[in-house]
Amino acid sequence: MLRGFKKSKTKSNAAVPSLFLEEHKNDRVTGNLEDTITFIKGILGVNDDFSMRKFHVFGKYPAAMFYFSNMINQTLLNEDILKPLMYPPSHLEGRSIEQDQLKDVLLNETLYHSEGKSEQKLATLVEGILRGGTVIAVEGIEEAFFVGMRSIEKRSIDQPATEQVIRGPREGFIEPIGTNIGLIRYRLQSTDLRIQTMEIGRRTKSTVAVFYMEGITNPDLVKELNKRLSKIDIDAVLDSGYLEQYIEDNHLSPFPQVQYTERPDKVVANLLEGRIAILVDGSPLALVIPTVFSQFYQTVEDYTERYLLMSSIRMARLIALMFSLVFPSLYVSIISFNPELIPTEFAVAVAGGRAGVPFPAVIEVLIIEISMEVLREATIRLPQQVGGALSIVGVLVVGQAAVAAGFASPITVVIIALTTIGSFATPAYNAALALRLLRFPLIIMAGVFGLYGVMIGLIVIANHLLSLKSFGVPYLSPLVPGDFQGMKDLLVRGPLWWMRKRPAFLQPVDETKLGGHTYEDLKNTEENVLDPSKYQK
Amino acid sequence: MEKRTWIKTVKVLCAVSVLMPLLTGCWDRLEIEERAVVLGVSIDVAEPEAEREEDDITHLKGTFPAPERGLVRVAVQIALPGRIPLGPGEGGGGKGASAETVWIIDVVGHSIDDAFMNLQQQLSSRLFFGHLRVIVVSEALAKKGLGNVNDYFRRNSEVRRMAWMMISKGKALEIMKAAPQLARVPTLYLMSTLDEGIRMGKFPKDYLGIFWSNSSKKGQEGFLPYVSLKKEQNVEIKGLAYFVADKMVGITKPLEIGGYMAIKGMNPAGYQVFVKLDGSSETVITGATHRNSKLDVRIKNGIPHFTITTALEVNLEEKISEAININDPNILKEIEQEQTEASVKLYSDIIKKTQEKGSDIFGFGEYVRAKEPGYWNKHIQTTERWREMYKKMTFDVKVTIKVRRIGMKAR
Amino acid sequence: METRQITVIQAAAILISTIIGVGVLPLPLFAVRAADSGAPLVTFLGMMVAFVGLVFITVLGMRFPNKSIVQYSEDILGKWFAWLGSAFIIVFFAVLTSLAAREFGEVVVTSVLKTTPVEVTVIVMLLLAAISTRNDTTTFAYIHHFYFPLLLFPALLIVALSLNNGDVINLQPIWGNEPNGTMKGILTIAALFQGSFIMTLVIPSMRRPERAMRASIFGMLIAGGLYVILVVAAVSVFGAEEIKQLLWPTLELAKATSLPANILERLDAAFLAVWVTAVFTTLLSSYFLTIQAINHLFRLRDHKIFSLFILPFVFITAMLPQNIVQLYGIIETVGRIGLSLTIGYPGLLLLISIFRKKRGNPVGEKNLDKNS
Repeated sequence: MLRGFKKSKTKSNAAVPSLFLEEHKNDRVTGNLEDTITFIKGILGVNDDFSMRKFHVFGKYPAAMFYFSNMINQTLLNEDILKPLMYPPSHLEGRSIEQDQLKDVLLNETLYHSEGKSEQKLATLVEGILRGGTVIAVEGIEEAFFVGMRSIEKRSIDQPATEQVIRGPREGFIEPIGTNIGLIRYRLQSTDLRIQTMEIGRRTKSTVAVFYMEGITNPDLVKELNKRLSKIDIDAVLDSGYLEQYIEDNHLSPFPQVQYTERPDKVVANLLEGRIAILVDGSPLALVIPTVFSQFYQTVEDYTERYLLMSSIRMARLIALMFSLVFPSLYVSIISFNPELIPTEFAVAVAGGRAGVPFPAVIEVLIIEISMEVLREATIRLPQQVGGALSIVGVLVVGQAAVAAGFASPITVVIIALTTIGSFATPAYNAALALRLLRFPLIIMAGVFGLYGVMIGLIVIANHLLSLKSFGVPYLSPLVPGDFQGMKDLLVRGPLWWMRKRPAFLQPVDETKLGGHTYEDLKNTEENVLDPSKYQK
Repeated sequence: MEKRTWIKTVKVLCAVSVLMPLLTGCWDRLEIEERAVVLGVSIDVAEPEAEREEDDITHLKGTFPAPERGLVRVAVQIALPGRIPLGPGEGGGGKGASAETVWIIDVVGHSIDDAFMNLQQQLSSRLFFGHLRVIVVSEALAKKGLGNVNDYFRRNSEVRRMAWMMISKGKALEIMKAAPQLARVPTLYLMSTLDEGIRMGKFPKDYLGIFWSNSSKKGQEGFLPYVSLKKEQNVEIKGLAYFVADKMVGITKPLEIGGYMAIKGMNPAGYQVFVKLDGSSETVITGATHRNSKLDVRIKNGIPHFTITTALEVNLEEKISEAININDPNILKEIEQEQTEASVKLYSDIIKKTQEKGSDIFGFGEYVRAKEPGYWNKHIQTTERWREMYKKMTFDVKVTIKVRRIGMKAR
Repeated sequence: METRQITVIQAAAILISTIIGVGVLPLPLFAVRAADSGAPLVTFLGMMVAFVGLVFITVLGMRFPNKSIVQYSEDILGKWFAWLGSAFIIVFFAVLTSLAAREFGEVVVTSVLKTTPVEVTVIVMLLLAAISTRNDTTTFAYIHHFYFPLLLFPALLIVALSLNNGDVINLQPIWGNEPNGTMKGILTIAALFQGSFIMTLVIPSMRRPERAMRASIFGMLIAGGLYVILVVAAVSVFGAEEIKQLLWPTLELAKATSLPANILERLDAAFLAVWVTAVFTTLLSSYFLTIQAINHLFRLRDHKIFSLFILPFVFITAMLPQNIVQLYGIIETVGRIGLSLTIGYPGLLLLISIFRKKRGNPVGEKNLDKNS
């Protein structure tokens, strides 16, 4: 029956196997081994890496094993599956096993593998093979065995490349989602951690895992996220970045409304604040929602080092962030519109530096800025060994030569260099990108209206930020709307014992994160244990 | 959803296209090196034959007649971009070095603006007054009146209130042309002469803005530094030029600046005086370190009467011969007494001097206005009437002087 | 439909940043013209007069916590009289918007962008305000909340830096020497506070309208306090007579101060740049008020259409005054006439509502759970 069916549909089968599979979603394994072999081979057999191995279970029942040879661990397969299937186990030796018992015996007594189950649907079996499993079909059994033996080469767990810290854990996510889930579970050994997985991507069938803390995360948020995720119907999800662009609120905004991170500890910290994390198989970057602007200049290290030091460093980072946005435009407007603002000596000297430059300051700054962007892009593309050398050549030699050639004034070069360095100080790459981009319209505004224009531009940006929301959370929380608790972790990083509450703007179910009197208790029990006066001999 | 994004895109495009024309004009962009950065201005009364120099730029016979007042000769000091090196470098050098950092041009005109427009007509880059630091006005012009000068600079939004205006002895142009050795830019040297004067207690804070405020007040007149050029191209603060309305009416001596500051109680104090000890012919020099002053006003017979109580703290800085012993408290007391008498006389003289001209540079009138409003509203009310009253005003000066330190030497 | 999200602090911030605007620039001139050295006192009295108007509006708002003045005036006066009053309010605030935009345009063109056409600076400000009014009341509150520290800071900085050069004598006698124009001056200055009318829109969106009075008092105290100390600083630095010679004494004050260590040698251009935000918030409020009033009057759902629709009218009104002297003449006249609208009209409404014992519905229970 199956064969006849297939013949009539050969055309569609040859054209798009996945559609064929879709049509035969409910086909089941018949007891006929040949039927199963034809079905699976018909779909996957064209591929040269597909393997089928015929053998006899316990020397009598014909069986076949299907797998992609590069996705499984051959040794394990030989030792733990093939061997026990061929030789009956010692306690069964001599006993004849009937056809109807065979399935139970095989599943319960012979298969030496934890991840094994029986499955009826052919389509599911095929998908299992695709994902790296091994399917064993035995003549006469109306189910096939599915053994998860996936073994795909993966890199080892490394230091996160983009979010390095001096003090703090050194692990970063890698591509396979299983490892990543493990990394999170290992840090958050709680019954409250919930992981929901789903498959997104019509072709890639990528596993997407949604993490949240029951009892902390607002359930409405989970509902909303699931609603958004379930509506995504695309071909391929190759990285979490694909999802980000579908679930964010404002698609036109240059500002990221979803944070990404490759640090498991950061994910865990965010989960505990009441956020949701999303992991995608094949992507080492987890998404964290909802996101507010303040997250982009905060790092993990802020919390591991002592608060006074990290508060000041955070301020420096904030200044760098502002610099990278407004510095060039301020320069342009002061030079071309309001030179009376700077000290006279300096103004005269700047005029001297610019005397030979043929372009107006706007054009000059734009040219240097754009060449800086080009240089930056080039450094990323180049192999690491060359990259460093090139950036030195680019910055030092070209900068110096540009000044000497009368192409740019020395102060412009200084300004652009400061700006560029400032933009590197922003921990979040995507936020830094947004600010880098917004710098250009600001420079143009400065060229047209001077300081007035810069201010108009900044007001437009600020108004945009104020109207922006990430999953309903105002983007500038906790600054606007004002939240006193949140302010403790906004511009400065308050002492940990100050921050008793989770961020209120996330509307967590359980608000308190610090036991009532921890700090007071610690203070009260403090004692000068090794006071020299006590040990005088 | 789809539709809405489209509408949004269209809206954004509309907004952008509305805004685009705005971006095409860079009306006010003027690069710093394209501006003629005026650092200093000097204003002189022009010699009568100078009229021939001038072309009809702001005026034309018949249509826009020129004002009847005399001509002024205005010189500007323009910074030459590129000549003033960035950062510390080869500054100071030869005598010619500083002369090259600026460019001095002079023109004549019927008014200040007229002169500047005449100048602009000859100049490629736009005159920029944002960095104007020093305005030097010649004594002759100051005596004729500064009304026009004040009006022009007050109206011009680029001019800063922190600039200095000074009255020069002789030609103002000479001061503009002076090239002192200490600074790369001559004007900045002029400026720092006065700024440092403030910090050393040699001169009161008297920026252009303060001069204007003082001149506007009903019970006060303005004053300006009076400077003269010395032989090494340096500039000496020769006293206060005091005004009635916008006309200069007199000059004080340099030491009287100290007297003025003592009456006003301005700190830091920075004047040194000879004190001649009674009985002997010995003389010491004391330097004031701190001044304190209190004014009290009473109306006596319909005329305001001021009691000026001034306290000075002085250090002994030098004695002329070894004959006297400083470590004797009696001597110190004597020094105090002598200086007190001399000071009372000095202060009274200054006040009397200004009273003769009716120029209340101290702002006694403001005191009357503030403390005795009833009297003021009834009898004075206007500037003119205060000028008259100031001449009649009476005062007492009380001075207390304390010698605090005598330096490293014990006797 | 709209959620009640505005807190007391936000309401106060809206008041402050609405009141503080371009009017601050000529403020010392108005005050000094009225009473010489008594300028701070005049400013304070002006603030008190304005506060009376604000109290009327707040009390009315608390009586009708779900409605704006356009809506409850219908309950109080009947439909037709109310329609007339609301129409006046709409026209008045449209004019006020245009005058503020023009005034700031003139300031910018006179002092910084000398060759830029005044039309451009005006239209840029108006566009900025118009586009921002398309947001809802919550975002409107956020915008004000975000900007108001940015307004206080530069003003206070300039005051702090300039008090160094101040002289107490200039402030005495505190009631002024010739207090003949005082009444007129008080009204002129009270007119500078007219932005406080925005409270009528804020109360219906407040989380707890019963606390509106607190917001009004805070807002008025801070804004009025800033006005007073600015006047004090200007008068003590320049003296009353000098201020009479200056068109924008506050700006002149910025010009006369420099940051320590000469980071910036003069602050006028920088101050003006920062002041763009202050003007923007003021424009935003009066524009928003105009649009929402139209919206309520015609019972429309979406106020967004009007925000761009009335822009040409506002712009043309802004361009009507021929020169700056005429502009200030108009501003003072319109301001004083407007007082009857912003103080008299609410006062009348309040009186009638007390007589006729009209009261709005209290806020529904559902909105209170968040605070408990």
